[in-house]
Amino acid sequence: MAIGNLPLVDALKTKMRWNQARQSVLSANVANADTPRYRAVDLKQPSLGGAGGTLAPAPVAIRVATTEAGHIQGRTIGSSFRTDGQKPFETTPNGNAVNLEEEMLKAADNQIDFQMVTSLYQRSIGIIKTAIGKKA
Amino acid sequence: MDFNQSLKIAASGLKAQSGRMRVIAENLANAESTARAPGQDPYRRKVVTFASKFDRELQAQTVQVGKVERDRTDFKSRYEPGHPAADASGYVKYPNVDTLVETADMREAQRSYEANLNVVTATRRMILKTLEILRA
Repeated sequence: MAIGNLPLVDALKTKMRWNQARQSVLSANVANADTPRYRAVDLKQPSLGGAGGTLAPAPVAIRVATTEAGHIQGRTIGSSFRTDGQKPFETTPNGNAVNLEEEMLKAADNQIDFQMVTSLYQRSIGIIKTAIGKKA
Repeated sequence: MDFNQSLKIAASGLKAQSGRMRVIAENLANAESTARAPGQDPYRRKVVTFASKFDRELQAQTVQVGKVERDRTDFKSRYEPGHPAADASGYVKYPNVDTLVETADMREAQRSYEANLNVVTATRRMILKTLEILRA
């Protein structure tokens, strides 16, 4: 069994991928903070099956914003995490529904979350190293 | 799906906001630009539009400065009979630039720019954290 296939390490890797995907989604929200008719989106937490179940999220395409009648729903290949349409906190007169403070908080949150996961990953690798008799 | 993507999206936001800043600077600089001769129009205020653009390479919604429109509100007029551009009744057309509005707009552009910078900073921290795994 390769290290990469251990349920714990696999779960952590999925979580890191999710953090990465979420960071680009949040970054798109902030970039479009003044774009008319843009609504903020977010990703749902992946369910990392409790005691080492199957951890890969089901592939779901992120939906593209349709700002005009006649726009075709595109399909993105990039992320397989489910998007979470949020209830907008407020919508400006030009139809923009991005709350900067909220996005900033989320970005910070995401960053800390990611740091935690990377630390856990490091620890897991350390444990494996200990098991094979190296000084971690 | 990586952090470069987040950085590029945030960069698009930075670019859009600085483009907005450029137009605001133009408006403020021309707040008193009158016509040279009677019957001609003075400087007309420019308005920036933002458009969300789906970037195929990044697979995400980036932002870009759309068309720079002209503000179609009426010009202000002041009574200055001695002015070279004064009409028969002694009135001079002044640009439809309101310094207060421009200043408020400038502050907003500043804040949005900072928000995008914060996203860049947060993303860079995440990248550094990822690199720290290598030291485990």
